[in-house]
Amino acid sequence: MAAEMSSIVSIDEVPATLRAPPGPFAAFWYSFRQNKGAVVGLVIVLIVVGLAVFAPLVAPHSPIEQFRDAVKAPPVWAGGNWRFALGTDGVGRDMLSRLIYGARVSLFIGVAVMTVSFVVGVLLGLLAAYFGSLVDIVITRVMDLIMSVPDLVLAILAVAILGPSLINTIVAVTIVYLPRYVRLVRASAASEMQKDYVVAAKVAGVGPIRLMLSSVLPNCLAPLVIQAALGVSDAILEAAALGFLGLGAQPPTPEWGSMLADSREFIRSDPWIVTLPGLAILITVVAINLMGDGLRDALDPKMRTS
Amino acid sequence: MIGFFLRRIVLTIPTFIALTFLTFVAIRLVPGDPVEARVGEHGITPERLALLRHQLGLDQPVWKQFLDYGWGLLHGNFGTSLSTSGSVLTEFMTLFPATVELSLVAMALAILIGIPTGVIAAVKRGSWTDQILMSLSVTGYSMPIFWWGLLLVMLFAERLGWAPVGGRIDLIRFDYDTPTGFMLIDSLLSDEPGAFLDAVRHLVLPAIVLGTIPLAVVARMTRSSMLEVLNEDYVRTARAKGLSPFRVIGIHALRNALIPVTTVIGLMTGSLLAGAVLTETIFSWPGVGHYLIDGISRRDYPALQGGIMLISVVVIFVNLLVDVTYGAINPRIRHGG
Repeated sequence: MAAEMSSIVSIDEVPATLRAPPGPFAAFWYSFRQNKGAVVGLVIVLIVVGLAVFAPLVAPHSPIEQFRDAVKAPPVWAGGNWRFALGTDGVGRDMLSRLIYGARVSLFIGVAVMTVSFVVGVLLGLLAAYFGSLVDIVITRVMDLIMSVPDLVLAILAVAILGPSLINTIVAVTIVYLPRYVRLVRASAASEMQKDYVVAAKVAGVGPIRLMLSSVLPNCLAPLVIQAALGVSDAILEAAALGFLGLGAQPPTPEWGSMLADSREFIRSDPWIVTLPGLAILITVVAINLMGDGLRDALDPKMRTS
Repeated sequence: MIGFFLRRIVLTIPTFIALTFLTFVAIRLVPGDPVEARVGEHGITPERLALLRHQLGLDQPVWKQFLDYGWGLLHGNFGTSLSTSGSVLTEFMTLFPATVELSLVAMALAILIGIPTGVIAAVKRGSWTDQILMSLSVTGYSMPIFWWGLLLVMLFAERLGWAPVGGRIDLIRFDYDTPTGFMLIDSLLSDEPGAFLDAVRHLVLPAIVLGTIPLAVVARMTRSSMLEVLNEDYVRTARAKGLSPFRVIGIHALRNALIPVTTVIGLMTGSLLAGAVLTETIFSWPGVGHYLIDGISRRDYPALQGGIMLISVVVIFVNLLVDVTYGAINPRIRHGG
């Protein structure tokens, strides 16, 4: 053993040209890094995630505590003080704390919608691709039906049935976005099924579950990952729109969309109450989209936009 | 060719049936009894409740109700609104032109600004101009449009007073017939001085808000498809022949680059209507999106059901039209589909 070890050359002594090609992750990171926007997006996303996770430590106040002595206090740049750096809302709740806790709600919705529609979408898409015929037709038709109703209208209908709440927002938005995943998985799995390696695997006696999950699925993953990343930002926007219409998370949950709905009466007098929640949504969604574009460029050179 | 059209039309029939089923089931799942919601009286006698149920056909078995509902739809009966007692179809058709007008102007803005933006970004690829335009495009694409609408109202309506806060026309100053339902056309026909300008002033902010996301999408699409086309041999040939850059880019390249862009534009109808729901809510625009939201807040489920049904029919129809048009333009789609 010892002799063998000593014959192995340290990696530093090998000329760079002889080194093994970078692993998949290193290659991905190298090409992701080329896109400056994507890196900026990633940094912002990490900051927002950090704020959401450590909200109780970072936020100066409770998001639902009403400071009756400081109702509609202006932010520091408009003559306010540092006790409420971004001012307070119509009932004296600290805007900064509500925005920080709001990141939790929005990210939770985004990630939950993405996870559920990813898993269900993969299952339905693979089922459709594997069985074909009737199963395929039923799944495809149902997805077409969902897509024929404008997304927000369908989400509104779902919330009207289920009743407005945080969980039902997630359910409604998941229903709306599910077809995208199903169609993507079905299309790429169906084209993979034609390939020789799948035939070879079948001949070798690989069972259907193993065939679909460990042979076909990994080859469909790249577009799916991109869709998932961009799906998070779409879900956040959609959920905020529901919140804005009063159909999302209910008060006093500090959800960015419903904060905007509450703020409409202050549009004339106290513009920061209107401006800040929207800005939070915009920054988060832009950051996720920039990151998603970077992912697309790095994972799928064919879909490269520039 | 005709076979292709027919096949596409036949394919939408199961979707329609399923849609009917979906709205029917969905509305019955909504909590709250529609009869009690309609009556709204306390201490109503059980006899009167039963009578109302009978009048609405709610005492029939569910399958019979579904068949009646479907039969009604085939005869253009999309239900009766609980709050106004008017026919949902009539109310929808009165409001629909407002939504169409808003959507068309928003789309026109998106196309007229988006395509040149995309072309400029593609031609100046990698430059500062490109980077700024594309940053704006990502921002537009990510825009929570309900907030964007509030910001514009705050700045241009409340602060500067350049535009009205909402509505389609100043109802105090103008009163004229609306034969087409399109305010821009009706105001011109009315011969009332200043009516057209007033209609335009009302339309600008909502159109900008609704057009923002399509604009960003069109600009992005145009840029990437232009970049692809600019690398093609025929573009190099055109350049080598000594054609002016304007001719090469504006005519030879753009014509082909626009094919995927038009597809995207056609398929955006659904999201445009969804955006109209939010835009109309912010600007009190009396369109079908506003109608749906009203239906929810008033618990007027027949109106909601009929409205959703009609909007979906429009989307299915427009998508069919887009499909068929591409079939007519592009033989590869026709034979493949």
